[in-house]
Amino acid sequence: MSSHITPSYIQLSNISQSFTLNNAKIILFEQLNLTIRQGQSYAIMGPSGAGKSSLLMLMSGLEQPSSGQGSYFKNDVQGQEEFSLDFLRADIGFIFQQFHLLPELTALNNVALPLKLRGDKEAINKAKLMLTKVGLQDRMNHNPNELSGGEQQRVAIARALVFEPRFIFADEPTGNLDENSAADIANILLSCCKDSNAALIMVTHSQVLANKAEHVYNLSHDGLTQLKNAQGDALKVEVAC
Amino acid sequence: MLITNKSLLENTKLAWQFYRQEFHLPQQRLLRWTQAILLIFMLALSQSSASVQQYLTQNLQGLLGADAQISQRQPLTNQQVNDLSMQVDQMVATQQIKINFSHQNSWQYISLKAVADNYPLQGELLTATSLDGNSEQSLTGPKQGEIWFDSRLFASFNLKIGDTVEIAKQAFVFTKLLKHEPDRLMEGHNVEMRAMINIRDMAALNFGEDLIHYRYLLTLDSTQIPTLQDWQQQQLPAAQFIHKQGNHPLALFWQRTENVIGLASIILFFMAAIAIEQISLKHQNKEQYFSAVCMSLGASKNTGIIVSIVKWCFSLLLLVPFALLAAAVFHWLIIHYLTASFPNLQWQWHYGLSLKTLAFVSLIFALFYLPVWYSLLKSSVAKLFNQSKSTNSNLGQKLATVVVLVIVALAYSDNALLTAMLVGAMMVTILLILLLSWLVLTLGEKLTKNLSGLLPFVFFMMKQRLVSKSTQILGVGLSAFLLLFTLMLMHDLGKTMSNYQRDHDGNLMVSKATNEQLSYIKKWAQDNGVNIRQHKSYLHAKLVEINDKSLAEHTDKPSDSMATFSREIRIHWNNQLPTNNRLLQGDWWQADSENWQQISVEQEVLTDMGLDLGDELSFIIAGQSYNFTISASHEFKPGNGSITFWIQMPTAALTHIKANHYSMASLEVSEQQQPLLAELWQKFPTLRMVSLQQMTELFDNLLAMITKVISGFSMLIILLASIVILASINAVEANEQKKNSIIMSFGFNRTTCLKLNIIEWLITAMIAACGAIVGTYLAGLLIYQSQFSLTYQPDFSWLFATLLIILISVISLGVFASRKSLNSSIRQLMAE
Repeated sequence: MSSHITPSYIQLSNISQSFTLNNAKIILFEQLNLTIRQGQSYAIMGPSGAGKSSLLMLMSGLEQPSSGQGSYFKNDVQGQEEFSLDFLRADIGFIFQQFHLLPELTALNNVALPLKLRGDKEAINKAKLMLTKVGLQDRMNHNPNELSGGEQQRVAIARALVFEPRFIFADEPTGNLDENSAADIANILLSCCKDSNAALIMVTHSQVLANKAEHVYNLSHDGLTQLKNAQGDALKVEVAC
Repeated sequence: MLITNKSLLENTKLAWQFYRQEFHLPQQRLLRWTQAILLIFMLALSQSSASVQQYLTQNLQGLLGADAQISQRQPLTNQQVNDLSMQVDQMVATQQIKINFSHQNSWQYISLKAVADNYPLQGELLTATSLDGNSEQSLTGPKQGEIWFDSRLFASFNLKIGDTVEIAKQAFVFTKLLKHEPDRLMEGHNVEMRAMINIRDMAALNFGEDLIHYRYLLTLDSTQIPTLQDWQQQQLPAAQFIHKQGNHPLALFWQRTENVIGLASIILFFMAAIAIEQISLKHQNKEQYFSAVCMSLGASKNTGIIVSIVKWCFSLLLLVPFALLAAAVFHWLIIHYLTASFPNLQWQWHYGLSLKTLAFVSLIFALFYLPVWYSLLKSSVAKLFNQSKSTNSNLGQKLATVVVLVIVALAYSDNALLTAMLVGAMMVTILLILLLSWLVLTLGEKLTKNLSGLLPFVFFMMKQRLVSKSTQILGVGLSAFLLLFTLMLMHDLGKTMSNYQRDHDGNLMVSKATNEQLSYIKKWAQDNGVNIRQHKSYLHAKLVEINDKSLAEHTDKPSDSMATFSREIRIHWNNQLPTNNRLLQGDWWQADSENWQQISVEQEVLTDMGLDLGDELSFIIAGQSYNFTISASHEFKPGNGSITFWIQMPTAALTHIKANHYSMASLEVSEQQQPLLAELWQKFPTLRMVSLQQMTELFDNLLAMITKVISGFSMLIILLASIVILASINAVEANEQKKNSIIMSFGFNRTTCLKLNIIEWLITAMIAACGAIVGTYLAGLLIYQSQFSLTYQPDFSWLFATLLIILISVISLGVFASRKSLNSSIRQLMAE
C-alpha cells in the first residue's frame, strides 16, 4: 500500500446490538461510535459476555447491527469512496485463538491457500516470503500437528496477511499461548501488520498484548471506553457512546 | 467377580445412555439403514431358500410315485429286467418322448408318456372328463388306442372327449383329461404340455429307441436301496437313480440359484462394507476421544472398548425386531412369487435358521466395525492433549476387510469363475480409481497451477487431501460401477441375446435331428429355397468318471457344468478346430492322428470342474464305456454361428464308437415359408425344432423375470449407494465446515464455497465415473462372454446416458447433502 494514499477506514456510528433469548431482549451494547484506521492497531478488552466478539463481527461486516450504521471509506489512487460494510469482505483477514489451520496442509500450503483461491500464480513464492517474515523459514513443509502452538499462530498470522488485507481482525490471538510465545506473537503480529499497512483489531484479555496496541478500548455494559490513544496517552475516560 | 459384574452393569448403563444420545446423529442413522437393509435381505433370502428346500424334500416324498426310480436313455435288457425284478417288490415301466403333436393345422411341442398296464405304482392318478369337472382317481393308465391330454393341451387344441387324433399316422381316441400323475417329480417343473398313452401303443409308433426316455418305477424296502444302488452303478452307470431317502433332483438346481443370489448379496456386502468404513471414520474419532476421557478419569482402557461394543450391540439388537418383521413380509412376497414355479409352496418361518442368519450377518457387521474397536486399543490420554485426529485409517485393516469379503465371496458362490470375474473386475475398478485419482489430481494441480479461478484451487485442495478424497471417490466409484453393471446386465442381456440369435442362428433351430431327418431337411430346404445356416453332428454321452473317480467323488460343489454333466451331453467330432472356436491350451489333433481317445474341453467347463490337460474322462456312449484324455481346451469365438460343443473328439473316434449320430442345425425360414414346417412335423413328430417365436417367447418370459429380480436388486443397490455417498459426506462434514469457514475468513462469501463444492463433486464424480465405466466394460467383457457365450456388444450411448444420469444424481445428492457444511460461519471458528 503506497504511503501517499490516505488510509482507508471503518466507521461505526451509533451502533447498537441486541438479541432475544427466551423472550427476553438482551442488549450487548448501545449507541456505540468507533473509527478504525488502516495501518493502526486497536485492542478491545473487557469482561466475558460484554460483546467483544460481536463487535468484531459487526466491524468486519459479517453481522448486521440491530441499529446504527457502519461504513467503509475506501481510499485508493482514484480517491475515496464510501461503501457499506458488506463491501469490506475482500479487504479483511482473521486470526483466531485456536489458529484453525487446515490439518492436512503443510504450513506453506496453509499460507498459500488464500492466494490460490484468488488465482495468484505466485502464491507459493509469496507464502514462502511471508513465512520467512514470521520466522518459520525452516518449518515450511511441516504439518500443523508438527508445530508448537506459537508456531501455528505464526502460520495463521502469515496466512491472514499474505493476501494484503487492509484490516486484520484477531480474536484472542495469544489466548492459547504461554507467556514467552504470547510476547513473541504479539510482536510479530504488530510488526507484520505495520509492515503491511494493515489495521489490526484485537479482542483480548491480555493487558500485555493490549498495551502494545496504539489504541486500547474497554467494552463493558457501560459502553466502550478508550483507555489509550495513538499518542500513547493513557486516557482517563472518554465515553464513546 | 462382584466388582466385575458391577462395572459391566455400569458400563452397560453408560452404553445405553450414549446409544440414546447418539440415536439421531446422522452417522448412527446411516449405520442403522445399512445394517437394516443387509439384515432384511439376508433374512428374507435364507427363509425363502429354506422354504423351497423343505418343499422340495416333501415333494420328493409325495411325487416320486414309487420308492425309487431308475431312468436312462436305453431300455433295460431282458437280463437287467430279470435282475432288477429279483431285487424289488414291484416294477412299472414308463416311457417318455418329446414330439411335435399336430391336429387340424395346429401344432404343439408336447411330452408324450407311455405307461404299462400296472401303472400307477404309488399315489393317485387323477383324471376328469371336462375342464371344470371333478377329478376322479383312475386305477390304471390309458388302454390301447386311448390318449389322455392335460388341461392346457386340451384347451389349446379345442378338443372334445371322444375326438380322434393322429400321431405318426396312428389314430387315438381322446378319452380322459389328465389332471395329476403321481410320478411327475421329474417333470413337475417344466412347462411342456403333456399326453399319456399305453406302452404297447408306444411300441407300435416305432419311434427310435434312443429318442425315448425309459423310466422304471420301483417299490422296495429302504434297506434294499444300497444294494440296488451298487447294482445300478455296476450295471447301469449312465442311469439316474432317485430314491426317497436321497436328494430331490431339483435340489442342486435350487442350490445353484441360491448361490447366484448369494453372489448378488456379496455385491450388497461390498457396498455395506464401503458405507460402514466411511461411517466408522467418524465413529473412530468420537469413540477414541471418549475412551481417552474415561482413561483420564482413572478408568481402564477396557471401559471404552466395552462401552463401544455394548453400544454397538444395542444398535443391532434394537434393529432386529424391525428387520425380522420386514423380512417376514418380503419372505411372504417371495413365496407368493415362487408359487408359479413351485405350486403349493407355503410361507413358513424357520426360527433356527433366522438365528443363524442373524448371527452370521452380525458377525460380518462386527468384522466391518472391528477397526473402530481396534483403534480404541491404541487410544491414550495423550490424545486429549494432542488434538490431531487420526485421518489415515489403517491401510492394513482396510485390506483385511477386502480380503475377508473376497473369501466370503469365493466361499459363497458355486461358480468360481463368475465370482472371480466379478471380484476381479471390482479389484481392477478399485485400482483404476485409485490410479485415476492420483493421476487426475496430480496432473490437474500441476497443469492448472498457472491458471486463475476456482478450478486450480479445487485441484490443489483435493490433491492435498488425496487420501481422504480417494476413499470418497472410491466409494462413489464402486457404487456407480455396481449400479451401472446391474442396470447394464438387465438392459443388455435381452438385447445382445436376441440380436445374436437373429444374426447367427436364423429363425429356426433344430436341436436334434437323426441322419435320416437331416437328409430329409436338407432336401426339403433345397426344394423350398430355405437357407440352412449351419449344421453340426454329435452323439450322446454320459460322463461317469474323472481320473477313475465318480463325479460325486471328484467334486461335491454344485456348478452349472456339474448340473449338466448329471445328464447326457453331446460330443461333437471334427479334424479341425471349428471356425467359431478358439484354441486356448494344448494342441488340436491332426487328421491322421492314430490317437482317437483324446478330447478338447471348453475352457469354462475345465475351470468349473477343476480339470486339467492330461486328465482322463470316462464316458458311457450307447451303453459302452470309453476313456478319453484331455489334450486341449477351447472357447467360443463369435462371428461364425453359435452352435458349439463343450466336448469335441477326433473324427477317427467314430470308427471305434457304435452310437447313433444326430445333428444340430439352424435355418432361416421366411414368414411365407412357415406353413411348410407342418409337413416336416407330420413326417417327423420327434424332430426337435424350436422357432424364433417360441425362442423369443421363452426368452421374453425369462427376461421379464430377470427384469423383476434385477429391478428389485437395483433398488437395494441405489439405496446403499446413496448411503455410501451420504456416509462419505458425513465422514468429512466437520472438516468441510471448517474449511468453508476458513475460506470465508479470507474474505470470500458462501457462493464461492458453493461453487468450490460443486467443482469438487464434479471432479469426484468424473473420476468415479471413468473408473465405473471401465470396470463395467471389463466385467461385461469377461462375464457376458464366459457366462452366456455371447459377444459383449456394449451400447455405449445407453451406457453413457445412464452414467450421466448417475453422475447428475451423485452431484446433486453430494451438493445437497453438503449443504450443512456450507452453513458455516466465522463466528463458529471464534467460538471454538
